[in-house]
Amino acid sequence: MADALHTLSAAELGRRLAAGTLTSRALCEALIARYQTVNDKVGAFTHLDQADVLAQADASDARRKAGQGRGPLEGIPVAIKDNIAVKGQPLTCSSKMLASLVSPYDSHVAERLRAAGAILYGRLNMDEFAMGSSTENSAIRKTFNPWDLARIPGGSSGGSAAALAAGLVPLSLGSDTGGSIRQPASHCGVVGLKPTYGLISRFGLVAFASSLDQIGPMARSIEDCELLLNALSSADARDMTCFGPSDRGLTPAGDAKKLRIGIPKGFLGKGVAPEVAAAVNAAVDFYRAQGCAISEVELPSADLAVPTYYVVATAEASSNLGRYDGVRYGHRSASAGTPVEMMTASRSEGFGPEVKRRILLGTFVLSAGYADAYYVRALRARAKIRAEYLSALAGVDVLLTPTVPTPAFKVGEKASDPLQLYLEDIFTIPANLAGLPAISVPCGKSGHLPVGFHLVGAPLSEAKLLAAGRLFEAAHGFAHQQAAL
Amino acid sequence: MAEGFDIDHLAKLARLSLTAEEKALYSSQLNQILGHFQALADADLPATIDDARVVDEAALRSDEPGPVLGAEAVTRIAPASRDGQISVPRVVDDES
Repeated sequence: MADALHTLSAAELGRRLAAGTLTSRALCEALIARYQTVNDKVGAFTHLDQADVLAQADASDARRKAGQGRGPLEGIPVAIKDNIAVKGQPLTCSSKMLASLVSPYDSHVAERLRAAGAILYGRLNMDEFAMGSSTENSAIRKTFNPWDLARIPGGSSGGSAAALAAGLVPLSLGSDTGGSIRQPASHCGVVGLKPTYGLISRFGLVAFASSLDQIGPMARSIEDCELLLNALSSADARDMTCFGPSDRGLTPAGDAKKLRIGIPKGFLGKGVAPEVAAAVNAAVDFYRAQGCAISEVELPSADLAVPTYYVVATAEASSNLGRYDGVRYGHRSASAGTPVEMMTASRSEGFGPEVKRRILLGTFVLSAGYADAYYVRALRARAKIRAEYLSALAGVDVLLTPTVPTPAFKVGEKASDPLQLYLEDIFTIPANLAGLPAISVPCGKSGHLPVGFHLVGAPLSEAKLLAAGRLFEAAHGFAHQQAAL
Repeated sequence: MAEGFDIDHLAKLARLSLTAEEKALYSSQLNQILGHFQALADADLPATIDDARVVDEAALRSDEPGPVLGAEAVTRIAPASRDGQISVPRVVDDES
């Protein structure tokens, strides 16, 4: 075989499938063989039903043969983070709480992928209930960075990013509440996009913090990321915040070489590793050389983003996770006495340490006597941060920063210091607080470890983010990169 | 900002049972995290939270019945069920 199938992009695989030089079965068999030799090293997947995958592939090949192919994703495997429901597959959120749960229904994005002919390919590891930045909080297994197996892949969509970097699958879905798509994408050298709040339905996404959560595409190239984004975006009445792309229309990309790029003042200063700053500055120089207008912008409340996020997110999490009471689904303690004892024991046995920490924090910031000082002030700070970002984006098309201040750290290095781990998200959090689209694009290496830059745009400016990423990607060698394993 | 922090009360509100070691650990970590939140207390912030919403208006769907999971699907994922219903510990004592 001229090219190992696991190294190819989804777009190229789609072209071969359309040309009849490849079948979905042959592709899935090759990826399953890759899974059998690589997944134990990387730990990206928590579950892969090989018989089901091959049955889906055969159905796809039959559709194509009958002239009923469903588009560019027909026959292409897409792996899915384990907090997004796929009927008949586990939905564990990498938690003991949901260890035995098999989803009885499809999420909206799973329906969209089926309608596009994609293969729903396995379940990807994550921080428990999407709470974390290293995937070390998974109750199922550790996931390692394919570029250095002693290091974390990022999180919470660590399995989604690691699977791409390890050549286990060409496309994956993640979810992003404060950076959970973009931060692991940066650490693993892949592309990750958090769409505008409301562009993609969260129906069937297990809720963490509902005013922040978004599902988004991850891939090894901008072209593939766009392919998946287009398949996922659609209005859905089952998520009352989802307007999809049809009502308002995405902003046209325009000429990427004429983009106005804002560099937030001070963002490349303290706390950013020199190699990360150098890679991001080189990206800025590249855009300037292409003709883009580069200017410095002020975001004076940026320092409030992390505390604001951790008040809002934990408050919403403490409410959302109230549903896990051992009654309707999920873990029920065997030591149940009264109903309250059953609920307390079930939650205490089912949740891991980070989830408990965030529930306690969220309970506190919402509790009587403290809600005004914490939760309401955080909402006011959120309003201020959002206004500053929208104001800055009235003068430029995109804001460019590092995605993460430092390259991937070693497994266990920050496990005992949650506050340090929370600061990993300092550049990614504001896009969630303001509901803005944002993307991480690979832009270099720090030693052998990938580095990404981060673009944030105005609502519905996904096409501009992708165009900017495409311009950079076309001139550099970071698309389709995979770790040697 | 964090005066009055009571880990036992919080655990009760959150329906969590914590060991002594967990209480000590979470108390220490939460105090550290809440100290970081001090920036919110010191900040000059807008008076209203109206602009904190990231969608201008939520689309309320019409109040019409739609597809639902049937009893069989619901009880299949329940921790315990009997006769097509989810079973739970006794909630109300017999008065007889």
